[in-house]
Amino acid sequence: MAALLENHRRYDLRDELEKALNRVDFFRIFHTMALRFGFSHFGILQLGNENDACMLSTRLVLHDLPSGLAEEYDKRHRFGDSVFYKTLHRSAISSVWRTDDPGCDANQNLLVQLGFELLVSVPVHAASTGARYAVLFLGDGEDIDRAEHVALAYDAIAAFDYFYRVALANKAGMGLTPRETEILKWISHGKTASEIALIVSVSEHTVNSHTATILKKLDVVNRTQMVAKAIREQIIQ
Amino acid sequence: MTRKAHILLVDDDPAENLILRALIRKMSNIDIELHYCQTMDDALAFLRSGKPVSMILLDNRLQPQLDFRETVPALRHQGYIGPIGVISASLADAYFQNLEEYGADFRIDKAEIDATAIDFILREYLPQE
Repeated sequence: MAALLENHRRYDLRDELEKALNRVDFFRIFHTMALRFGFSHFGILQLGNENDACMLSTRLVLHDLPSGLAEEYDKRHRFGDSVFYKTLHRSAISSVWRTDDPGCDANQNLLVQLGFELLVSVPVHAASTGARYAVLFLGDGEDIDRAEHVALAYDAIAAFDYFYRVALANKAGMGLTPRETEILKWISHGKTASEIALIVSVSEHTVNSHTATILKKLDVVNRTQMVAKAIREQIIQ
Repeated sequence: MTRKAHILLVDDDPAENLILRALIRKMSNIDIELHYCQTMDDALAFLRSGKPVSMILLDNRLQPQLDFRETVPALRHQGYIGPIGVISASLADAYFQNLEEYGADFRIDKAEIDATAIDFILREYLPQE
């Protein structure tokens, strides 16, 4: 990943963001950020078109909510109907939500539905594509003051920027790493993910995640097309 | 729909076992069985026994081994292909950037392990049944 210029000020987060390798590292960064500002949980939400049917559980690309909470929510409520979701499409200004917000009917109030007291939403976007996301912080605090809100929003924007580039970006056209090329070679020899994990001495999870990255980089949809394209492009013999 | 997970904790400090055990007792949505080994030899023997292990949490420094750069490959050579997380209090050390090359999956600070972190890691690494 190309290094950023120092003009992009990342303050205290710089070193940690530069070192982040995988989704667990970003979980650590966002979770710590939430705790530092007095929240208990975070979620990164992918925004779509306002009128598309949408479920909370499928829009969360990374979160630390208790397992099953978003799925339970989707069984009972329509995320697309919540005032919160609609507001995200109206303005990209960061917003603060409380359970007793006037003008927000309780049965459309996301916070009441999820069982938290305070929500801060920081709209963000991917620099390369403009795709919109929002970083949410949930907790039981009373309110957040201006200085904290501004600092939290800044940190969330910086951390999301790295998260997108490391974990979400479409890496089509980028070169394969030596490890990815090695895994591609074993796939072309007909080995399964668990066999490759044994051969290469990594976990099956790592093999699958490298395979997903190779699919993105070669811009192909399955392992067959991957091998065909790799031979055509002379990445493997 | 309670899932079952077998976590193997390898740590020379038995206190960590007690702490983790207390932590996972609070988790209701997944049935976790925690196995504990104090040394690498015990851990390798545990893997050889064929008992199920869904995830290994490994203390970075275990005497007499150097750090995860020695211990993770040893676990892999035993044929273990599940996720391995390395626990340390000094994740910022430069060699941690090569974690995946040594066959580890993720790193986590001792101070960061709470119920939320365990829940996240299990969701991330254990396939939904």
